[in-house]
Amino acid sequence: MQTPVAQRPLSVHDMEAILRVTRGLAAPFDLTTMLGEVVNAAKQVLDAERGSVWLYDAASQELVLEVATGIRPVRVPSGSGLVGACARERLIINVPDCYADPRFDSRVDKASGYRTRCMLTLPLVDHKDVLVGVMQVLNKRDGVFDAYDEVLATALAAQCAVALQRVKMTGALIEGEKMRQALEMARVVQMSTLPTAMPVVPSYDVCATFEPADLTGGDTYDLALLDERLLIVLGDATGHGIAPALSVTQMQAMLRMAFRLGADLETAFMQVNNRLAETLADDRFITAFIGILDPATHVLRFHSGGQGPIFHYRAADDTWDRYKPTSFPLGAMPLAAMRPPLTLEMQPGDVLAVISDGIFEFENGHGEAFGEARAQALIAANANEATTLILERLRAAVRTFAGDAPQEDDMTAVLVKRQDPLWARASFERTFDVIESMAAFSAAAFARLGADEHLLPIVDLAVEELFTNMVKYGVGSSAPVRLEVGAIAGGVEVRLTDVDVEPFDITQAPDVDVNAPIEEREPGGLGLHLIRRMADSVEYEYEKERRQSRITLRFTSAGLSARR
Amino acid sequence: MLAIERGPDGAVVLNGRLDAAQAPAAQTYLDQIQGAVTLDCGQLEYISSAGLGVLLKTQKRLLAGGGKLRLVRLKPHLRDIFTYSGFDQLFEIESGS
Repeated sequence: MQTPVAQRPLSVHDMEAILRVTRGLAAPFDLTTMLGEVVNAAKQVLDAERGSVWLYDAASQELVLEVATGIRPVRVPSGSGLVGACARERLIINVPDCYADPRFDSRVDKASGYRTRCMLTLPLVDHKDVLVGVMQVLNKRDGVFDAYDEVLATALAAQCAVALQRVKMTGALIEGEKMRQALEMARVVQMSTLPTAMPVVPSYDVCATFEPADLTGGDTYDLALLDERLLIVLGDATGHGIAPALSVTQMQAMLRMAFRLGADLETAFMQVNNRLAETLADDRFITAFIGILDPATHVLRFHSGGQGPIFHYRAADDTWDRYKPTSFPLGAMPLAAMRPPLTLEMQPGDVLAVISDGIFEFENGHGEAFGEARAQALIAANANEATTLILERLRAAVRTFAGDAPQEDDMTAVLVKRQDPLWARASFERTFDVIESMAAFSAAAFARLGADEHLLPIVDLAVEELFTNMVKYGVGSSAPVRLEVGAIAGGVEVRLTDVDVEPFDITQAPDVDVNAPIEEREPGGLGLHLIRRMADSVEYEYEKERRQSRITLRFTSAGLSARR
Repeated sequence: MLAIERGPDGAVVLNGRLDAAQAPAAQTYLDQIQGAVTLDCGQLEYISSAGLGVLLKTQKRLLAGGGKLRLVRLKPHLRDIFTYSGFDQLFEIESGS
């Protein structure tokens, strides 16, 4: 029997009773207590023997029996049986004789040994019309539930629904807050193991950056001097949340300890891998680059467990070496033996760049990734700068590229640069607008290299003349022009390199007749003429493979005096 | 950067760098001058062949009209460039210190 709710008003006496019992509903904050209160209130107000509450699980669209004396939690689809019908119709169902109603499910009685005689089933709908659950009230003490009980139950149900909804939402908030605090704590632990200052390594400039994503990511890095050697680590644990943050922290601590105890690279890598394989969950692993640089020999030995690519910028010829991982990620499975580590040699001006995928894979709003090429171009263009500045520009470039797109993963990068006491290098876009910055670059290079300042004006002139020629005549090329200023005995060597161009040997250009009368003089050719007069030597080389022109000029103080 | 302005004595004052990037603006300015003009180079820090070209074109135009450019207070390190290019023969130059 399905009955629409009667529109008869409540008596003052019963209203007071409802308010009295529902006052108790204001206090509890946990669901179990609240459900107990709701059932007790219903039993008192409706003079029933038992009660139970089915909570609606919106995610699974099931009704879940959370409270019923002596009965285990039960889940039913929200469309089935009396509770299902009540949830669907949002109407009270009053069944005076349960065993006569085909919708009644007697299995609950069988499980509990209790016999349900009559039953009120009523929807719990909160003040925003959201279905919270279904309440069932069993066995009126003296008879069956009547129409007035339905009115009482409806009034009570409204109170209970709101109270339950409040507890559910509070619970969700508390869970969210607990999760947030736990993540924050894991982040604090993760951050606290990062080096607080960059180590001072003779003839090297080292720097790292770490920008955590809001919630996810498990990156770490380490740069530490162990005796005379530099330990270089970049790690990235799989997964989201607290576990990766903690597992990279664990790896970093184990590595430091292994190296402090004198382990060599293979042993440390293998031991840490094997310990992580024991402790990490089966679906978790850590990609990690682990390198040891000897600043005296400039030899870097490294293993990379799944972390790659590893970039080695070669300053002398402006090229990149790219290394793949040497092994699978740490913690993936135990290792019984390892290949020897890879070795590379850092030449003056070279940069080792180990960068996490959070940078390479940072996507802009169009789904395009920042990528390896952009990172390489930026580092090459700024290789003459301090590593702190290179990283600052890398971060700025990623942010500019990303626009409003959110950061999904930790961004980490480690740069190790061998300082070059003899050479300064930079690349310049093919526009006359950079001429003044080229002069500023040369001035800074002179100051750093301790070159004779009297040579600076003629170097500036030579650089401008050659650069403007390259811009004017190398029209098919879009590559920047590379300028290098190096210290040589008694002066400087200057190199300009232009790629993707036709050969043009400036040493073969015709001379200008400087004694011609003014009406025969033209500005053309004057620049090269001046360079040949002012430089001690001028050399031109063309390399076919890269279609590269390189002009090498030497200027010395002695040469300058001799010409005056 | 290059700044060009008329000094109180009527001289054209060059201040800064006369390089390939600044040459077009300098040419535009010098295309307006007439007659015998003094070019005050006391604050000219740098000149390249592009700058020399601007001076050459201006000198040719002025000479055709009976005028000329006279360079004063030219810095010693720039004097070399005029010498090596033979431009010391095309202009009356008064060196600075």
